[in-house]
Amino acid sequence: MVEPVNSSLGKMLLEEVSPVVMVLCTPLVEETFLKNGLSFVETLKPFCNFSNIDVPVRTSGDQLYRLKKFTLRLFNAADIRQPNVEVAKQRLEHVITQAGEKVFHDLESDPPQITDILSNSESEIAPTWFQYYNKELIRTLSFSDHEAFDHPVACLLVVSSKDEDPLNKFVDLFNTNRLPSLLNDGVMDPKILKHFLLVHDNQDATTERLTSKVLSEMRSTFGNNECNLLCTNSSKEGNVEHQANPWASFKSSVPAEKLGCALTGDDIGEIKELMQEFASRHIIPYMEQKVRDLNQQISATRKGLRNQIKNLWWRKGKDDIPDSTKGSIYTFSSTESQIRILGDYAFMLHDYELALSSYRLISTDYKLDKAWKHYAGVQEMMGLAYFISDQSIKEAEYCMENASSTYMKLGKSGFQNATRCGLWWAEMLKARDQYKEAASVYFRICGEEPLHAAVMLEQASYCFVLTKPAMLHKYGFHLVLSGDHYKICDQVNHAIRTYRSAISVYESTTWSHIKDHVYFHIGQWYAIVGMNDVAVRNMLRVLDCGNQSKSTQEIFLRDFFDIVKKTGMKHEVVGLRLPIISMSSLQVIYEDHRTYASQASALVEESIWQSLEDDIIPSLNSGKSNWLELQSKLLPKKYKESNVCVVGESVKLDMEFRNPLLISTSVTSVSLICELTENSDDLKLEKETSSLSLGTEHNQVTTSGFSSFTLSEVDFTLGGGEKKLVRLTVTPSEEGILKIVGVRWELSGSIVGVHYFQSVPTKAKTNKAKRKNKLTPTDALKFLVIKSLPRLEGSVDHLPDKLYAGDLRYLVLELKNNSESPIKNLKMKISHPRFVNPESHEEELTPGFPDCLKKGPEQNTVQRETSRTSVFAFPKDVSLQGDRSLRWPLWLRAAIPGTISLYFTIYYEMENVSSIMKYRTLRMHYSLQVLPSLETSFEITPSPSRLQEFLVRMDIVNRANSDSFEIHQLSTVGCRWGISLLQPVDTILPSKSILPGQGLSCFFMIKDCRKPGTEEEKTTSILPSQTDIKLITQDDDEKLFDIVNSPLASFHESERSCHGTSDQLSPNTVDFILISRLAKSSNPSAEQDLPKILSHHSCHNRIRSSIPLSWSLDGPKTMYHDFSTSFCEIKLKMVIRNTSDGFLSVSINTIDGLPDAAAPTPSSGNLSGWRYVPAITEEMKLTSDVMGSRLGKPPPSMESSPPFIWSGSSSTKVQIQPLSRTEIPLQISVFSPGVYNLCSYTLTWELSEHENALSSTSSGICQGYPCYLTVLQSE
Amino acid sequence: MQREEERKMIVCVSVVGHQNNPLYIQSFTDADDALKLHHVVHCSLDVIEERVNNPKTTLNEAFLGLLYPTLNYKVYGYLTNTKVKFILVTTDLDVRDTDVRNFFRKFHAAYVDAVSNPFHVPGKKITSRTFAQTVSNIVGSYGLN
Repeated sequence: MVEPVNSSLGKMLLEEVSPVVMVLCTPLVEETFLKNGLSFVETLKPFCNFSNIDVPVRTSGDQLYRLKKFTLRLFNAADIRQPNVEVAKQRLEHVITQAGEKVFHDLESDPPQITDILSNSESEIAPTWFQYYNKELIRTLSFSDHEAFDHPVACLLVVSSKDEDPLNKFVDLFNTNRLPSLLNDGVMDPKILKHFLLVHDNQDATTERLTSKVLSEMRSTFGNNECNLLCTNSSKEGNVEHQANPWASFKSSVPAEKLGCALTGDDIGEIKELMQEFASRHIIPYMEQKVRDLNQQISATRKGLRNQIKNLWWRKGKDDIPDSTKGSIYTFSSTESQIRILGDYAFMLHDYELALSSYRLISTDYKLDKAWKHYAGVQEMMGLAYFISDQSIKEAEYCMENASSTYMKLGKSGFQNATRCGLWWAEMLKARDQYKEAASVYFRICGEEPLHAAVMLEQASYCFVLTKPAMLHKYGFHLVLSGDHYKICDQVNHAIRTYRSAISVYESTTWSHIKDHVYFHIGQWYAIVGMNDVAVRNMLRVLDCGNQSKSTQEIFLRDFFDIVKKTGMKHEVVGLRLPIISMSSLQVIYEDHRTYASQASALVEESIWQSLEDDIIPSLNSGKSNWLELQSKLLPKKYKESNVCVVGESVKLDMEFRNPLLISTSVTSVSLICELTENSDDLKLEKETSSLSLGTEHNQVTTSGFSSFTLSEVDFTLGGGEKKLVRLTVTPSEEGILKIVGVRWELSGSIVGVHYFQSVPTKAKTNKAKRKNKLTPTDALKFLVIKSLPRLEGSVDHLPDKLYAGDLRYLVLELKNNSESPIKNLKMKISHPRFVNPESHEEELTPGFPDCLKKGPEQNTVQRETSRTSVFAFPKDVSLQGDRSLRWPLWLRAAIPGTISLYFTIYYEMENVSSIMKYRTLRMHYSLQVLPSLETSFEITPSPSRLQEFLVRMDIVNRANSDSFEIHQLSTVGCRWGISLLQPVDTILPSKSILPGQGLSCFFMIKDCRKPGTEEEKTTSILPSQTDIKLITQDDDEKLFDIVNSPLASFHESERSCHGTSDQLSPNTVDFILISRLAKSSNPSAEQDLPKILSHHSCHNRIRSSIPLSWSLDGPKTMYHDFSTSFCEIKLKMVIRNTSDGFLSVSINTIDGLPDAAAPTPSSGNLSGWRYVPAITEEMKLTSDVMGSRLGKPPPSMESSPPFIWSGSSSTKVQIQPLSRTEIPLQISVFSPGVYNLCSYTLTWELSEHENALSSTSSGICQGYPCYLTVLQSE
Repeated sequence: MQREEERKMIVCVSVVGHQNNPLYIQSFTDADDALKLHHVVHCSLDVIEERVNNPKTTLNEAFLGLLYPTLNYKVYGYLTNTKVKFILVTTDLDVRDTDVRNFFRKFHAAYVDAVSNPFHVPGKKITSRTFAQTVSNIVGSYGLN
């Protein structure tokens, strides 16, 4: 803490509370001094501050003390009056305006940082003109009637030697008529010290003798001591230049060099001496004397108990006097004024004890008199006296507070006084480091006048910074308030200045509401003062004002664009937040060796393609050389990290733009910022050029007429809060290194927004190890551009997006290579070989689809080569070049319902084009929606009567939603199984088509036509060609479809491999193909896209039965025998077939006995191999009932059959290998003609997993089934 | 009449995070004085900081009391254990302490509910509509009992 005397308030008090000298001078004197550009008072002013006057002073006490610092205030007599309020106001305004003009040039710089502000001391933070302003403000209150320190202590009468009759002039000057009114009114004491000064102009040589004569006359008239001579203007030429001009700080309107130009160093010395002498010899002793006199006088009248009581009583009596007369009740001669003068003089002579005691004395009087203004004035002085004498801080503050509030109570008239009091009080608090309190004092004296308030608020704000710890929030708030007030008075410069400082507070916070307000207004104000570019810079911060109301946003934008228009140029703004670019949405789509047929295929995940392409792309890892060598051979080291793209092929960038505002914004000319540098072999050189071009790159883009790449431009409009994904492309037209640096766009044609994708250069050196694993974002945007390569384009024609399961289509894959260089070695891989099958050769279908699938006159039953790999290699001679396009037929069959993504990848090689890229792949992606159609299931059971025949039940359900289907054909696959109808077609399908949701079961008979390798059994009459049956009644001429030839066969093959898992080896399975088509009438609207045929494949249908064996008793059905000769012996043969996978041992026991016991019971249900399956439909049930009863009921003749006996062995046991059969000979003896039921036997079987296994997994006993033999008496 | 309306009225409530970032600020006046209230709340942070960092007194309760008497408003503060500040601005010039305490207790409960939402990101603005509704209910019921 500084000494109170040395604090700024101490200095201020020394200057302001100091003796006043009234100057009276003749016009000629003024004229003399105007040669120097200064008035007389101004000339003397710099020499009125004495820092070490060293005068001994004794006031009331006996103690002598020395006065060190002393100041005189010189005023022309005309100025000794209360200043006009309006004029004072104007002067203050002028001070502010001037200061504002001075700061104007600083406004362009960036706002100060908050840390800088905090580290600065007070003098650096607050503008210097505050001191000056405060001083001026205090001066507006000088010569008030309730205070005495502005009362002139002395009077300086000045007459020039050129004046006529100087002695009379002296008398004239102190004529009461010409004295200030205050002295005449009796407010001030007119009896003051007089001093006479004769001024002699040395440039006026003629009057020199006269001067000395006048001086001596003066001395004789006014007294020797009271007269002085001042010789001046010694320099004849009037061009003296002063180092450190003493007047410069007092008068700034005139250039400093001109001031005092006629005064030599001697002249200045003389003035100095004059003033020193005047102060020390005359003024101080005079004041000293006066203080002593007054003190004595007051002691006599007021001190002591008697006087006090008297005074009190006297004052009580004056109670009824209204105080409306204000201060005028006290003239200078009244006791109260005398005490006040005593106090003020003592204060000015630095005898604060005396001053305080006088003030204390008078303050009670004034209080009793209710002379509030006087009271407040005294309180104020008391506070100051306490402060400067470094006494009780509390007392000082109390007095100031009291004074301030008393002034405030006086209303408007007291406010100015309150302001002065407040300023002093604030200074006092500041001197004691109580900045927060000082701020609140400043806040109190804001008043209503905006300009005044602005200055006070600003001063308050600086106090908040200086508080420890700094109260930055309040600092900002007061600055904003102050700025608003400045703006009200059109002090825009100051308004900007305060807001600029406030920005430093709010800049880094998230208080967006306040921030927007500050930035927006400062922007507007900058525009007012014409600094449009700075205005734009500030306004930009407001654009991202999503949290504001819509109307506010509109105002913001409107004003912003107005200002931008005013600047008349395009502003380029890096990091413009309108619209906002979401970096996470950034996606780069480019083609190196991977090319894409469509956008959809580019968006497919890379891993899908990679897994698909695994076996067609030449692997880097294969071969003798290790991977290190190979990679370095393929790509020079420096390119390893960058992507590769091809000249003429565009690189696409998808990114998302978001509008943060509620109002729609139109964004135009959105394009990428790119740079393409020469591909130089020297790595260093390349790096240099790229870093160089970074600076100039922008110009390159704006004038991109002959640039080495072309950019796409996109315009779009974003509604309020809308997000939009935008695709931008760049197409390089030269080789080199292409870097995508950023994106630029225009807002309403005047603002160019630029967004750099990675403004911070990545630390390339430090994370080299990391780089190997993943690419940094900048690397992803860096491309090595290689020279133009052929690029294959491809599409699949007429691919429907919606189709029924089983739908078979003929498609064409069209491939095209637009470049002149040929491509060769084409290979294709399809993700779903079940769905798509390429034709083996390029040819157009002659009969058209679907007729081409039908059986022609000449049957080609040659089995196709079924072993196909998943990679389809085009014939070697296929090479594409120029305009020729390759049309390759494809077959599509919708295998399963659902949404299917089909991926095609076509690999091709280029000839001798690039060392970096030897092959490319074309990737195509299609997605299909497959609707469910017919669903089939088959059940095959061995026929009860015949060993080679099986019953097939086919269940069909139409799962489609709306369409009905017709069944066209059912085929078995392969030559082994012949198929035949059990019922006429009409009875199976009475309604011809299957309606949606309808289910149907029908029965067929299949027969194993295979020749058993081991046995000689004659082949059945069914030819291998009879593997198909037609299931339609009409269109008899319609041919059956050929299921042996492509593509149905190959699709079947893939279906087989799809279903077939482990039981591939099992030969005992049947595959069916059901061919259906859409019922003709069902959907007439969508003619175009109608499926022609649908094929439904059912594979590996196994023959099912509950027992693992089937058998048949073969023998003659009818015998003729002559029973007269002998009984008849009939040889029979039992064929037993093991239908299981295990090893079967069967023992046959023949039973001779009562036929009743051997007769099968219909209810037992143990009817050979036929097993009844619960049916789905009514129709089915009926059928099965019929069959059941037919089979179950034996003919009536059976019951009366005479017995027969089994001859030969009664029990035979055989082992049968899996899926093989054996024959056992049997014999019966019949004794009379009749019909015999040969069912009296049982088969006991045991099934085990392994041959000769001890334990069996299952076993059972089968009754023989009826087999009728008719034996007749031969003739 | 107008005085009667203004008598017990909360004009602004706010939640400020421990880094002095606004988490929630809502004014309840018809006039367009949001900016002013933002400033008032922002300024009162200084007072809270001063109180919290004052080494002489230790805070033994969350309620901070009257922070900041301005010409038209009174500002009250409340500090949670997680250094989240609640600030209340009222035009009620003769406030009962219990009313304010009650208010803050309810407000704190509402705040805890809002930040317990698993979708709330700590340190981000509170966007919950339920919270806003609860707060306006609390504000509406202020001083009624």
